[in-house]
Amino acid sequence: MSNRRSRQSSSALRISDDQMIDLVSKLRVLLPEIRERRRSDKVSASKVLQETCNYIRKLHREVYNLSDRLSQLLDSVDEDSQEAAVIRSLLM
Amino acid sequence: MASAYNPIYTDVPEKDVFALHFLQTLSNLRTQNSFSSPDNKTSDRVKKIKKAAYVSMARAAGGANRLWSRSLLHQAAKRNNKNVRFLRRKRRVTWLMRRRSNRGDPIEDVAAERLRNLVPGGGGMETSKLMEETAHYIKCLSMQVKVMQCLVDGLSPK
Repeated sequence: MSNRRSRQSSSALRISDDQMIDLVSKLRVLLPEIRERRRSDKVSASKVLQETCNYIRKLHREVYNLSDRLSQLLDSVDEDSQEAAVIRSLLM
Repeated sequence: MASAYNPIYTDVPEKDVFALHFLQTLSNLRTQNSFSSPDNKTSDRVKKIKKAAYVSMARAAGGANRLWSRSLLHQAAKRNNKNVRFLRRKRRVTWLMRRRSNRGDPIEDVAAERLRNLVPGGGGMETSKLMEETAHYIKCLSMQVKVMQCLVDGLSPK
C-alpha cells in the first residue's frame, strides 16, 4: 500500500517514466512540426514542451483569425442568398 | 503493490459535438439585440465570436470534467458577472509548487512554466497533470479550429 504523501510528492517532482513516454508519443503525434522533422525517438522533453507552446499559440491565433472572418461573413450575407438560407437553417 | 502507471485519458468527443455547441452559442449571440445593431463595433463582434468559440469548446469537451475547461468557463462567467456555478478549486498544491521549483532540469521547468501560462487553469497543477490537460486541450483546440474552418468555408462566396 503506497503512502499517499509519498506518491503525491514523487509525482510532483517527476512524471513517471511510463507516463512520460506515453505523453511524449501522444504529443509527438499531435505536433505537426516534430512529426515531419525527426524520425528518431530521442526528442528531448524540453523540445517537446517548446513545440507544444508554439503549437498552442498558433492555434490561438487561428481561432482569432477565424473569428474575424466569421464576423465579416456573418455580417455581409445577403438576406435572400443561398448562404443566408444555410445560416438560417443551421442557427435557428 | 500499487501500480505506478496510470494510462492518460485524452479522448475528445467527435467533431459534430463541437460544431453543435458552437452553432448553438453563435445563435444565442445573434438573437441578442446588441450583436446585430449597427453601432456595435467590429472588434467587439469579433471578441464575442472568439469568446463563443472558447466557451462552446469548453462545454463540448466536458464542461466541469476537465481542469482547463472548468477554469475557462469560470473565467468567462466571471467576466459576465454571472453567478458562478463551479466551485473554486482550492490551491492546495502550493507547497508542491515550491518544492517543484527547487529541483529538476531548469530548462524543462521554464518551458513548463510557459505552458502553464498558456493552458487555462495551468497555474495550480502538478507537472504530470499539466501534461495530461495540455494534450486534451490541444486536441480540443484543433477540433474547434476545424469546425470554424468548415463554417467559414461553407459561408464564403464560391
